Amino acid sequence: MNGRLLRLAWRNLWRNPRRTLITMAAIGFGYAMLLFVACLMAGLRHQMIESGTGLVLSDVEVHAPGYYPERPVDQTLGGPDGTDVNALVAAIAANPRVQAASPRVYGYGLVSATHQSAGVELLGVVPDQEQKITVLQTRMVKGSYLTGRMPKGVVMGDKLAATIGAKVGSEIVLLAPAADGSTGNDLYTVAGLFHTGLDAMDRGLVLMPLASLQELLRLPPEGIHEVGIKLHDDDITAATTAAAALDTQLSKTLKVQVRAWPELAPELADYVQFNHRVTFILFFIFFLLAAMGIVNTMLMAIIERTRELGMLMAVGMRPVQVVGLIVAEAASLAGASLVLGAAIGAPLLWYLQVHGLNLGGNRGAVSLGGVVVGPLWHGQQDLTAYAQAAVGLAVIALVSALYPALRAARFRPTEALRKI
Amino acid sequence: MDRVSRLFVSQSTIATMEMQITKKGRQRRISMQFWSLDESDILLRIRSPQEDAGTAILKVGNEIWYYLPKANRTVKIRPSMMMSSWMGSNFTLNDLVKQSRLTNDYTVATSFEGQRDGVAVSEYTLTPKPTAAVVWGKITLEVRQSDRMPVWQRYYDEDGKLVRELSFSEYKTASGRLIPTQLTMQSMGKAGKKVEKTTVTYEKIIFDRPISKVIFSPRNLKP
Repeated sequence: MNGRLLRLAWRNLWRNPRRTLITMAAIGFGYAMLLFVACLMAGLRHQMIESGTGLVLSDVEVHAPGYYPERPVDQTLGGPDGTDVNALVAAIAANPRVQAASPRVYGYGLVSATHQSAGVELLGVVPDQEQKITVLQTRMVKGSYLTGRMPKGVVMGDKLAATIGAKVGSEIVLLAPAADGSTGNDLYTVAGLFHTGLDAMDRGLVLMPLASLQELLRLPPEGIHEVGIKLHDDDITAATTAAAALDTQLSKTLKVQVRAWPELAPELADYVQFNHRVTFILFFIFFLLAAMGIVNTMLMAIIERTRELGMLMAVGMRPVQVVGLIVAEAASLAGASLVLGAAIGAPLLWYLQVHGLNLGGNRGAVSLGGVVVGPLWHGQQDLTAYAQAAVGLAVIALVSALYPALRAARFRPTEALRKI
Repeated sequence: MDRVSRLFVSQSTIATMEMQITKKGRQRRISMQFWSLDESDILLRIRSPQEDAGTAILKVGNEIWYYLPKANRTVKIRPSMMMSSWMGSNFTLNDLVKQSRLTNDYTVATSFEGQRDGVAVSEYTLTPKPTAAVVWGKITLEVRQSDRMPVWQRYYDEDGKLVRELSFSEYKTASGRLIPTQLTMQSMGKAGKKVEKTTVTYEKIIFDRPISKVIFSPRNLKP
């Protein structure tokens, strides 16, 4: 296809602006629609992953070998003497895939207010760092999140507080098997209550400052169980790749096992993948709809021109040149239409990402299959899907132009001229 | 048979005992004092090591309280806590404080009688009664024929796998009755390997000395 042909094709397109604009609209709106659907789908996946990993799990977790999943209290990173926590966290944070990292300590035990007690999981975090990897601080319903100023302040789920009869400001006792085999116990104050919508957390999690939990469990300041990591890109493949890279990086200096969320929460990964397949089918249906519109308008446009093509051949254009011309027309038409579609789609995508669709009204977040889906459905940019849709539509446009073009090229000029 | 489960049962018991926990090659000793009255009321107070000293556990009827010296609080705990490992040992709180009569929940059958290692012994197999709410699938128990002293007791899960073994030794006379003063509980790891063990040794045990009911009160747990 040479430049002259392209110029001719472009001129041909504007010889009948109405027809061209109708075809452009068919492709452009089809593309905008696909962009919209892809953005919403990626947004749903992203939200599922975020809500599954964003509260406690995090995207990637670093443990000592043998720690996960039993979580014995004495299996700290770097052995019984622990490790240089700041250096480890800094080394992890230096990895380009990592957005933020935060050290953690886990324990289990009994929380008791005046007359009631309940078995709980204890999670010790550094409040400033933890807030960069998880979003529990945004789920506080009473009181406040942990601060560095209240070493004995803890936050717990609202349902747990109701069970044991504790309020913000209540004094509670924590009782936990410590790393040395003794039973750690101490008094704490409830600083705040959270509500996540996940029953297991709202009924069974107590969050406290890292140093306080280390003291309760008789762990040294160097003794931590886990580094939680937030990644820039947290989809299944990206998280698994990042975990493998971190494992290689950290294993040089420390005995570690690095796990990505699909391994830590396989049911979430299954759910995300299932959702991925369902939405792909949906995307494909939308694609077919868009494709049918394009085939229809393209076919009509070329068939309409059978007579014109016959004329061109009558004045000496070879059939192969005719086909080349049509393909050039279709290609430039598709290109222009996709640009138009992107122009229509861009503000929509921006709106979806920034503002989201409000689906739940004022009903609040709902828990679905172990993840909390918020009332706002935010979009997420999925460049791969956008590119796939563009290529797909362009191919459809070319093929649907090629078929009538080939047919017209096979006619003898006199025959073609007789067609309308 | 009933005699075995009644070995330590009396109107009242006062004992000093030491618990030695061996786990992953590390040892830990806990020294404690024990009071019981009428089978139902039990008080256990830890004397050493330093970090646990003062901790007290009280059971009155079906209620259990914990006194925590560091927090200086007495908390009531759920009975389900009784079934999990206590103080990192292989005993559950239930093993220590509940002197349940096995014959209430299990059907007893003699499975062996004769000589073992030159001692005449009887072995009994206990299978749970259909209505009993128990955790074990089966318990076997060996008793010396001469003085009806228990030798060992083995606990199996519902699949018939050996889970833990309690063995008795150091038979001594205290307050006019013969008892084993050393009890060792071993937990079985994978492939039936003995991985962890806890030994309880009674250093001093006195039966049937009058004890005031007052000490079995949650308000009096603070030393």
